[in-house]
Amino acid sequence: MVNTILKLSQATREVNSGSNKIALLDSINMEVKEGEFISLMGPSGSGKSTLLNCIGMLDNFTDGGYTFLGEPVHSMKERNRSKLYKEYIGFVFQAYHLIDELNVWENIETPLLYKNIKSSERKALVADMLDRFNIVGKKDLFPAQLSGGQQQLVGIARALIGKPKLILADEPTGNLNSKQSTEIMELFLELNKQGVTIIQATHSETNASYGSRIINLLDGKIVSE
Amino acid sequence: MIKTYFKIAIRSLWKNRTFTILNIIGLTAAFGVAILLAMFAVYELSYDRFHEHGNNLYMVYSEDSSPNGIEANISKSEPFAAALQDEVSGVEKITRYSGSGVLLSYQDKQLGMSSAYVDPDFFEMFRFPIIKGDKENPITSESSVVITELAAKRIFGDENAIGQTVTILRDEEEVPFTVTAIVEDFPATSSIGFDVILNFKSQGYHAYERAVGRWDVENHEVYMKLSKEIKPAQFESSTKDFTQLHYKNEIDNAKRDGAQPNNGVYRQIKLLPFADIRFANFNQGSVTVSRTMPYLVLGIAILILFIACVNFINMSIAKSDQRLREIGMRKTLGANKKQLFFQFWGESILVFIISTGLGILTAILLLPHFQVLFSTRASFNTFLNPSLIVTLICSVIAITLIAGGYPAVLMSRLGTLQSLKGKLDNSGKNYLRNSLMVLQFSIAILLISGTLVLKDQVEFMRTKDLGFNKDQVIAFPLNGRRNDQQTMQLLRDALQDKPNILSVTASNNILGLGKDGSRSTSVIGFDYNGRGVETHMLVVDSDYIETLDLNLVEGRSFKKNLASDSLSVIINESMAKQLNEEEILNSKINIDDKLFSIVGIIEDFNFQELDRNIAPMSLFALPNWNLRNVYVKVAPQNLEESFISVKEAWATVEPNAEFQGSFLNENIDRTLRNERNMITMIGSGSILAITLSCIGLFAMSLLIVAKRRKEIGVRKIVGASVSAITVLLTKDFLKLVGIAFLIATPVAWWLMSKWLQNYAYRIDLNIWIFLGAGIIAVLIAMLTIAVKTIKAATSNPVKSLRTE
Repeated sequence: MVNTILKLSQATREVNSGSNKIALLDSINMEVKEGEFISLMGPSGSGKSTLLNCIGMLDNFTDGGYTFLGEPVHSMKERNRSKLYKEYIGFVFQAYHLIDELNVWENIETPLLYKNIKSSERKALVADMLDRFNIVGKKDLFPAQLSGGQQQLVGIARALIGKPKLILADEPTGNLNSKQSTEIMELFLELNKQGVTIIQATHSETNASYGSRIINLLDGKIVSE
Repeated sequence: MIKTYFKIAIRSLWKNRTFTILNIIGLTAAFGVAILLAMFAVYELSYDRFHEHGNNLYMVYSEDSSPNGIEANISKSEPFAAALQDEVSGVEKITRYSGSGVLLSYQDKQLGMSSAYVDPDFFEMFRFPIIKGDKENPITSESSVVITELAAKRIFGDENAIGQTVTILRDEEEVPFTVTAIVEDFPATSSIGFDVILNFKSQGYHAYERAVGRWDVENHEVYMKLSKEIKPAQFESSTKDFTQLHYKNEIDNAKRDGAQPNNGVYRQIKLLPFADIRFANFNQGSVTVSRTMPYLVLGIAILILFIACVNFINMSIAKSDQRLREIGMRKTLGANKKQLFFQFWGESILVFIISTGLGILTAILLLPHFQVLFSTRASFNTFLNPSLIVTLICSVIAITLIAGGYPAVLMSRLGTLQSLKGKLDNSGKNYLRNSLMVLQFSIAILLISGTLVLKDQVEFMRTKDLGFNKDQVIAFPLNGRRNDQQTMQLLRDALQDKPNILSVTASNNILGLGKDGSRSTSVIGFDYNGRGVETHMLVVDSDYIETLDLNLVEGRSFKKNLASDSLSVIINESMAKQLNEEEILNSKINIDDKLFSIVGIIEDFNFQELDRNIAPMSLFALPNWNLRNVYVKVAPQNLEESFISVKEAWATVEPNAEFQGSFLNENIDRTLRNERNMITMIGSGSILAITLSCIGLFAMSLLIVAKRRKEIGVRKIVGASVSAITVLLTKDFLKLVGIAFLIATPVAWWLMSKWLQNYAYRIDLNIWIFLGAGIIAVLIAMLTIAVKTIKAATSNPVKSLRTE
């Protein structure tokens, strides 16, 4: 029996634009099981990023139900919600979003700081991660000194350091060339095999094909699975 | 965690080093100056606060109704103090007090010292602890003298002082006194100052013996300690019978002369809290106590800190744009508001700690100059007081909390997604930024116009024709041993054949403020045609009118042979007007049963400071009177040389007395010391205020130009000229300065016209002074932004667009 990580029922996200209400996401129903690798596809503006943000609890659905690991997120308070995503979700961004003032080691360490993990344990975890991604030699460099691919590698390492159950990746290869893209996608596949659930949003058919399931979005609605 | 915060703070400060440095410079200057100004203010406010019984100590004065209105009278008569203690309940301790300069000799040493003649209660009222000698009855005997530690050192060096005999010159006689005790040196913040203390009865004939038992000779002050159970107002109202009994004559005269009663009485005894004396004004009607000066200084300190903090807030908020992604990312990684707040606040604290440290250092470095410039003895010791230290630390923390905390709160509150996208709706914040900048410039313009008005007024007072020759006349005190008439004769002889010396005279009053800092006024009242008349009394030596170039309007001057004029009097125009006589030259006035005939009238001259109208004044040529000051008129050429020859002549006449001469215009300058201090204080405050405001403006222009880089590029491509773009970038800021001008000018006008009310002789305010201040502010502001905006306007648009 495979556990369900999250479940959306009739989830809707609306924004006000002047006097009109526009539905960015319209009555989405979906269920994600542990170990899945889902690719969200669709043209610009179809709602991929919004869906990822809402799942990642950076944004909220305005209507409908959202259950994460059996807990009703839609009726939770902000504080508990942030506890939840701090614990179980890792983010990977198209623009990497590394902190410019911190070097590689410190960037990867940051999530652990916010989880109040002890210094010695942090050191061990970060060292492991650097080792695993083969970037030990770059630990003292700053983001500006790295190539895009390397930066994204650090970004993924940072997402993984907290041992999340779910990784949300928004166009993780959007700023990379094809060789770097392939490397990153291979890495995702590898992680997925190790048991990490992944949801990625992508434009690219090739990248989408790495996933175990493809969901197509158009104008905020799921058009096909 | 803290280590990481610290690290990231250092790195982000380093990354924005232009702004960090601008902030640190601004805050350092502000803290440094604020510390010095606060020190000055606290020092002034701590005057006379060291007496244990300070809250129960009062100066006794009276409010007398006269035809000219209410007059505050602090001089009391010999029997007054004892009678008050006997007849009115509530007087726990009371002392008479008379301060003067004395010539003290010990062996072959001769020293000018300031003395206080007091009653024995003095030591039980004020905190002047005796550290050596007789602690019980130090001055009960009329031949005892108590000296300060400092005086002991000056007189005896390292010798034991107790029991030694010194002599003090009194009525031209060397009178021996035995040193019975030494008092601890008292703080500089004491308005009672002395080197030696003597029994009140040890004074000379004129000051004491002549006055014994007489209620009409008022020549000293009276201080008392009020019982704790009685309120001052209660005490004041219980003195009614006392006043009725002892001042019946005066009250009747006031009624006869048509004085208006004040609250139903013609004479009211009042108590002035001892700590208020330094801030009290006795010159204009009833006594007013005003601590405006120290609070004004404190106010300037706060305004300057405010301006620097505004800079900090504005820069932090403007810079937060560039940290949006970091904020968003940290939130995504699980940081909560509190953690973000402490991170950003921590960075602010770092800047503030550095600035405070540097500020204290600046204050330490500037302290000696500051003390000289403002002739103050305020120092860091002023702050050595636990509650004050706590207050200071708390205020620094409060400033850090507000200036650093506000931007930190704003940043930590941002939405995660919004900040990740790097976009911010900042219309509301610009509103705040603009208001703060308007406030900054309003303060700067206020201070600048204040400085300009003050400068004008002082210049006016300094250069005003006072009615006497102040440029060619040297004045100095007669501080030698000989009798004054004898000294004058010797001095005249010594100066006779000197080519540049035009004339020599003396009088018992000084014009302006001499080097020795002593001043006196004597006012006498007498009946004239059935009404009371008051006049200032000036006793002069021959040639007084000629030496000072006073204008004789009618009649004649005193004769060379002064003795034949001993019953003549020359009056000024105000006096003539007061006497209101058609044939004034034939009139006689009766003072103390002597008839003086008016022989001449001189034009009014400003013998007092310019905050007062010219009062009635009469010049007497009384023989063998105590003349206090010499006036020597010299030729307009070689003033330096003449000064030296006067000094040398004095040295031959009185080899042991110090020469404390100065030209009268220097004396006038000396009376303007307070005003000058205020100019320097407000002036440097305004310079700092405008500089700090411009630092803020400069930083803002840097940020705005960076933000509008793309816009500037696009505008240039579609054909905007360099000047059009400069105007575009500058006009928003100039608008702010313009609004500041509109806000500041009415406030400045109101404040300055209120201040000028203090002066009987004053300049008229005109709009140009304020426009001047506004133009100065606008020009400086324009120069500040010009550098960056012109550079932005002339840069190649292709470059700025490519980087987008």
